[in-house]
Parts: sequence; structure tokens; C-alpha cells
Amino acid sequence: MTTPPPGTPTIVQFTPLPSQTHPSFWHKLTELKLDVLKLSDAEVEIGGRYGVGRVFRDREAAGEKWVGVGGSLGVDEGSFGGQTTTTTTTSVPVGTAVARGIVKNFNTIEEFKAADKSKIFNQVADKIWSSIHTTKSTTLLNTFLVITYADLKKYKYFYWFAFPAFVSKPAWYIDGALGWVGAAAAAAAATTTGGGGGGGPGYSHDQLKSILDQLHKSAHSGSKPLPYFLVRSSGTTTVDVVPVEEYDPSKDRYTDTLDSTGTGTGTGTAIGFIDPSAGEQNPGWPLRNLLAYIRALYPGDSTKRLKVVCWRDSYVPRGEDGWKSRVGVITLGDGDGTGVGDGKRPDAVGWEKNVQGKLSPRVADLAPMMDPTRLANQAVDLNLKLMRWRIIPSLDLEKIAGTKCLLLGAGTLGCYVARCLMGWGVRTITLVDSARVSFSNPVRQPLFQFSDCLNGGEPKAECAAARLKEVWPGLNATGVSLSIPMPGHPIPESPPSIMEQTRKDVERLERLIEEHDVVYLLMDSRESRWLPSVICRAKGKLVMNAALGFDTFLVMRHGARPAKGEEGGVDEDLKGARRHLGCYYCNDIVAPADSLTDRTLDQMCTVTRPGLASIAASTAVELMMSVIQHPDGFRAAAPPPQSNPNDYPHPSEGGEGEGSSVLGLVPHQLRGYLAQFRNLHVVGAVYDRCTGCSETVIEAYEKEGFSMMLRAFNDPKYLERLTGLDKLYDEGEKAFEGVDWDEGEDEF
Amino acid sequence: MIDVTMQTRLRFEKACRLFISKYDSVLPSFSNTTFRGWCWNEYNDLPSFGYMSRSTALTVRLSTRASVVDDAEQIIDEAVDEASLRSPGTQTFACRQYVVYSATFQVPCLYFTISHSNGTPLSADELVHTSLFHSATLDSTTTTSFAVTHPSSLFPLLSQGDHPSLGTPCWYLHPCETVKSMQEVLAEDKTEMSKEERLVRWLEVWFLVIGNMVDLRV
Repeated sequence: MTTPPPGTPTIVQFTPLPSQTHPSFWHKLTELKLDVLKLSDAEVEIGGRYGVGRVFRDREAAGEKWVGVGGSLGVDEGSFGGQTTTTTTTSVPVGTAVARGIVKNFNTIEEFKAADKSKIFNQVADKIWSSIHTTKSTTLLNTFLVITYADLKKYKYFYWFAFPAFVSKPAWYIDGALGWVGAAAAAAAATTTGGGGGGGPGYSHDQLKSILDQLHKSAHSGSKPLPYFLVRSSGTTTVDVVPVEEYDPSKDRYTDTLDSTGTGTGTGTAIGFIDPSAGEQNPGWPLRNLLAYIRALYPGDSTKRLKVVCWRDSYVPRGEDGWKSRVGVITLGDGDGTGVGDGKRPDAVGWEKNVQGKLSPRVADLAPMMDPTRLANQAVDLNLKLMRWRIIPSLDLEKIAGTKCLLLGAGTLGCYVARCLMGWGVRTITLVDSARVSFSNPVRQPLFQFSDCLNGGEPKAECAAARLKEVWPGLNATGVSLSIPMPGHPIPESPPSIMEQTRKDVERLERLIEEHDVVYLLMDSRESRWLPSVICRAKGKLVMNAALGFDTFLVMRHGARPAKGEEGGVDEDLKGARRHLGCYYCNDIVAPADSLTDRTLDQMCTVTRPGLASIAASTAVELMMSVIQHPDGFRAAAPPPQSNPNDYPHPSEGGEGEGSSVLGLVPHQLRGYLAQFRNLHVVGAVYDRCTGCSETVIEAYEKEGFSMMLRAFNDPKYLERLTGLDKLYDEGEKAFEGVDWDEGEDEF
Repeated sequence: MIDVTMQTRLRFEKACRLFISKYDSVLPSFSNTTFRGWCWNEYNDLPSFGYMSRSTALTVRLSTRASVVDDAEQIIDEAVDEASLRSPGTQTFACRQYVVYSATFQVPCLYFTISHSNGTPLSADELVHTSLFHSATLDSTTTTSFAVTHPSSLFPLLSQGDHPSLGTPCWYLHPCETVKSMQEVLAEDKTEMSKEERLVRWLEVWFLVIGNMVDLRV
């Protein structure tokens, strides 16, 4: 603000009072509407409170930076009175004013919009004005109005506050150079510049403390707190705080000899009010009606120059100059002003502006806190965000939430993997299975229950997806019934519909893989993993593979197909191996073939210790999380194998190097032995004759597509011929003829 | 020596009532703003589930985008009034704080809600940038792996849950760390005092412990 020359009168501008609606106000209004008001749109009396504006040192900023925070008129569940709770209150704290208000709730949005706002507003203004003349009380001076429409189906509330304030014509002016000054600073200036006798516009520390004490006591003596008051100076040091109603023009007249530097003396009474403004040069809105009150009841010349105390302290400050209240001497412009003498009501203003600064209603959308589905979404995120606050600040939760996961197999592993992914806040989970829920499933497969097995059983994939959505409605879960063709399981030539179905299934699978980022292989047979492995390798998707034995498990990530020109050989120190990781089939010297036909029941079903599946499933999900947090993603090299697991660094020890992400290591394969409660890291290099990921196979798939697959399904020897495994086998047989083997080598 | 826990709901209620009346009668000063403004609430039909509550205003530590949006259309015109200040003012949030008794941990527990001026709740991201939180408490960008390097630090276990008496959605500071911290502080306190003074002192210490995590000064 540029300082005007001394003596220039500046118009006093008042800070509008903002509204603050507590969520419980909307809860209560909803109750009232449903239980009491129903279709009535009668006005209901409510209460509200506003506090003093505050200025405090910005604790974050360096040096002396002060932030002003204005008070606002708050309404909450207590506003409606008639509470079901008993409250033992500290009365009303110092620095808080109580205001009365009227709420008018409309039945439809159309009525709300079409309502004659000026009429409603003017009725309230009339009521305030007549109360001044009839009761001479200040009780209704700060009356407010709020009109509402509650859309109870969508938890949406339309509302508009108004704080009617009388416009003084002529306006009030303050000396532009002197302006509003700190209540304590002004006293110091006045005394040091020779004002003498405690004159000047301000007050001493003891006087301010006395005012605070009297305001405090007035709120506690059972009488009402004073939103407006008089500060009478009697003698040189004592100040008395009395209600404005006791104003006596002969006794309380303010006179001074102040010049534009603030030098001089002033005597008489100041009018004070609880000031919600935090503006240095702007008193708060409630002063406007107080001035109107004084002028209306005491229209003489004695009230054309007034000393005003903008009370902004709710406690004794730390230092004697820490008082936040401000004082100013204001003068009425030329003329007597409207409403003076003739009793005619001055114009009033005071509709609250919305966030955009427009004179327009506001909206509160409470669906996020009242709609259970949206509440759940927030809660899911919160738990994860807590990890980031302290433990892993650089955890990329958005990346996890945005990762779309395809789960091939909705059995024991599929159920556990899905639940664990949900725990990480993954939003898209698609399950694929061709089976139906059977009676043996529910006890081991946590997404199913007994009723799902009845009448032939629900399709597993769809059923699991539906259950996931019951756990968390915010999840995008889909179930797809699809049977995955397998090598060594020939497709009969007739009827042709079977061939057509197989072609469709393959296309469906290709499309599903295309649409997801991570593919989990969670089937119960070895050969069913072949087709998705090949497609994922070709399409560059991360494959997470989990397989169960009786008390052992394998969890691994398939290596990524090297970019062109980076194929590179395998280094002797395994560094190359750790970069070019193999797939599920890389250690095999035979192609995947039919392992299901001609087997006994215990060989066909996965007979495992019941706790194993959840351990393997969780391990697979956690490995995926570590991998996608790694800057190289699914191309991340595996950590060097350690003979002693204790030698692996913990992520907190800055182990975020090769083979490690913010979550820790990104191993290639983990083999778990439940009998020993032991996990082993294994790194397997890519094998150039692999039936699952060698370039020969991938290129053949890319070139020939479905016909290549068909050959693999129908001809058990096709893949071995394609990759040259058959030759290797023959060579091996020859080389090893006549060799005696020492038993006892580690099987890995 | 003061007890480490509150032990019973009745003692909690007594402590709260004594605490409220103590700070209701003394002159408010800058040093006791944390202890001021509390009132005791109790349901008529649930007499033993009382709690303390108060309302405060918060500001934002870091400037965030205005997440509350209203219609832009101006639907009425008021006469231009040159005595009205046209300024948006500082963004403030309403904070409702509750001190409830945790029967499990036998200590009080701080529940709170923070809402925009229209009553909509702040998101978790917005929440931690309000002046309720000390910047060091939750500012993860400057503190890496803090929990691991300083396992003894007061971890702000902030959770979302229903208010035990009101049933409305709230945030709360998990009380599991409170007992340990209370133990440390109370072990130092050897002052002789009456039974009632001890109860009030207990709550004051509790507020100071909680004050390490959230800023309860007004």
C-alpha cells in the first residue's frame, strides 16, 4: 500500500466475513430435513461463531514472515441447538463471538435457484434494523442468513451465506498516514513522542491485559460474551469493558488532538468488537453494523469521530509488543448519513462471494466422505501412502496402482495373488480360468465359498472377480472363462468348431496379454504356461511365474527379450547371465509335453501343504513390486548370488545398486523349501535352445502366428526340432554312454 | 510417580473435567493455547463414552491448488460498495479435534477432522500440508528411510477410522507409541502433588507428547 500524504482521508474498507461450514452441519441439516422439516421450507433459527483474526510467524519461512489468518463464521452440528449430547463447555473462549442466523432450506434445486434472494436478504436486514430501534440491543447486529438445497441422494449441498451489513453514506474515513495501528505500539508511540498521560490512541500492556481479562470474565460470569463492547478509560491506567448498550454520548464522547503523525492526546471511550479480520488496514465486517447502530441511536456530532478497537487477541501474548489488536480513529464523511434521524433503513450488502470471487452460491460435495465406496478407495490409498511418508519416500505408488495385472489361473495361487495385488492398490486385475468352482476349492482358495460350488459350480474366473469387487468395490476386476491350448495336447481336426474355438481362444489370450502390463502364470500344469510365455516374450510383458510342489515352490520372473543388438553372450562371471535372464523352460532339455494324461489323481492335482500357496503367491507379488520399482523395470539385472543370505544388503543400507530397487533385491528365481523354512536365490541364464524364449521360437511365432502354435500343440516333437534340442539330446546320449555317474550332486 | 496409563475410563473422564475447569479459569496466554478451548461431550444414552473436543482453524503450509471449486456464474448483482474489501484472503481449514479414551491402550487418543470451508474433507495429501503437522513430522522429501535409521523416533501412525462415540469418519494418531513416550516423560517427573493434580498433570504431559507429532497450538 502506498502511503498517502498526511491528513489524506482514506475510505475505511471492511474485510468480508467468510463462512466455514463444518461437515457435521451438513449431517445435521440432512437429519433435520429427513426427520423434522420434510417438505417444509420454513426458516429455521441457527447459531454460529466467529473468532478473531490471527497473525502468526510463518514457522516454515526463514526470518520474519507473518501470515494473517482471518476468522470465519463457523456453523456445525451445535448450530441447530437441541443436542443429544450434554456439553460441558469452557463457555465461549475469549476472542470468539456468537452470532444468530437463519437457515432456509429449499426442496428443489429449481426453487433454490429461482428464490427471490433480495427479498430474503432484505427481510433479514429489516429485522436487524428494527431491532436496533425497538430493543436498542446489539444481540442481532451480526445476524447471518444461509439458504440451502440438500441433494440427499448425491450427498451434494448447494448453499449461500449472507452477512447483511448496512452501507454508511457518507462512508467512514481514516487518516491515510496514520491508519490503523497496533494497539500496544500506538500507546508506546504516543508516550515516547510526548503524548503524555497515557494519551494517544493505543493502550499499555497492562491495559490490554485488563481488557482481555474483562472479556474473559464477562464470558464466564454467566452473562453472554460480548461481540461488541465499549472500552472506557477512567483515570490514566484503568480501563473498563462494558456492553455497548451502556453508551452515553455525553460521557463516552471521544476527543483528541492527534495530528497526522499520531502525536497528541485522546480521551474518551473507544468502541470495540471481536474482529475476525487479519488485515492490517482493514477492520472486519461486524464493525459495519456496530457503526450503524451507534449512528442510528446517537445521531449527534459526538459520534462522527470515533475511536475503534479491533480486538484480535485471544490470549496474553509472549511479549509486551505481541498484541495483535488494532486501533484507529475514524471520521464520518460530510453529511449525516442515511437512516440518521428519519429511521429509514440504509442499504445493506453482504452475500458471500464464492471461491471464484463471484456472487453466486457454493457447493459442497460430500460424497467422498459419505459414500462408502469412495471412502474405501481413500482408505486403501492411505495405508500405502503411509509407507511413503517415512519408510520408503521414493516408493512409486502411482506406478503400482496403474499396473494392469493378468492372472492366468484362478485357483489357489490366483486367489492369493489377487488379494495381495489388491493390498498394494493395484486397480486392474483380470483373472482367466476355464474351470468351475468345485467342492474341494473353497477351503484352499480364499475367494470362493460353499454356495459357489452348487449347481455345477460358478465359473472360477468370473466368480473370483465378483468376490474381489465385494472386498473392494473400487477395483476393476474382470473374470474371463478361457481354456489355454497346450503343446502336446493335439487339437482334433473334426469337428471344425474345435479348431475355430482354439483359434479364438488364442486370439483372446493375445489380446488380453496386449492389454495388461504383468502376466502371472498360476496354472496347475507345466505345459499350459508355454503359450503365454511365448506371447509375453514377444510382446515385452513382465511374466511372474509361480509353481508349487508338495512342500517346495518356485517363484520367478521371466527375463526380458534383449533389445536388438544387445543380445550379447553369457559372461563367465555370470554378469551376462544376470542381465539376460532365462524363462521357466530354459533349464529344460525336453519340450513341454502332455503331463496330465495317464497320471494318477495325486500326480494331476497339485497336492501341496496348504500354507505353501499363500507364501508362493505373496512372494511372487512382492517380487513383482520390487521389479517394477526398479529403474530398469523388467530388464533389471538380478543380484549376484550369495552363498549366505545374510550377505545380501538391506535396502536401508543403501543397497540400491545393481539387482536392487527401493524395495530391495530383484532376484530372478526363488526356490522355497517349506520343510527347511528356507528360500534359495537362483539365477538362470537365458538358453539359446529354449522352447519358451529362444529367438528361434519367438521369431517363428512372430512370422507364422497361429499355424506355428498349432504345430506345437499337435506335434510333440515340433518344438524340440525347431530349437535343436533333439540334436542335443542325441549328442548327449552318445557322449554319456559308458560314463558312471557319482550321485549326490545338488539337484540344482 | 505417576501411572503410565489412565487405567480406566472413569479416571479419564475425571482428568478431562479437572483439566477443562483448570484452563477455563486461568487467563489465556500464549503458553497454554494447546490446553485451551476444550469441552467435555457426553451422550445422554451413552454416559460413559464421553470425550473432549474443540474447533480450530488451520492454514496450509505449502500452497496447494484450490481443490474446492464453485460455479463461475454470477447470479446476482449487488450495488458496488466501495467500503467492502475485495480480497480472497488466506485459505483456511476447519479442524475439529477430539480426545477420546482408548480402552485397549488405556490412554487418550487424538482424533481429528479437517475440512474445507464448504465442509468437504481434505484428502490425505492435502491434510499433511496443513499447519496441524510440523513440517519435519511428515515431510518425506527431505527425510529418507528415517524409520529405519531412527527406529526410536515418534512415528506418526496416522490412520483413518470412525470416531468411537460419534461414528463419523475421522483421522487419528495411533496410540501405540503414546504409552512408551509417556513412560519416558513421566519417569522424570518427581514433583509432589495431589491425586487430582496428578490427573491433570498426566493429561498435560500427554498433550506435550502428542504435540511432538501435531501442532496443537492455536
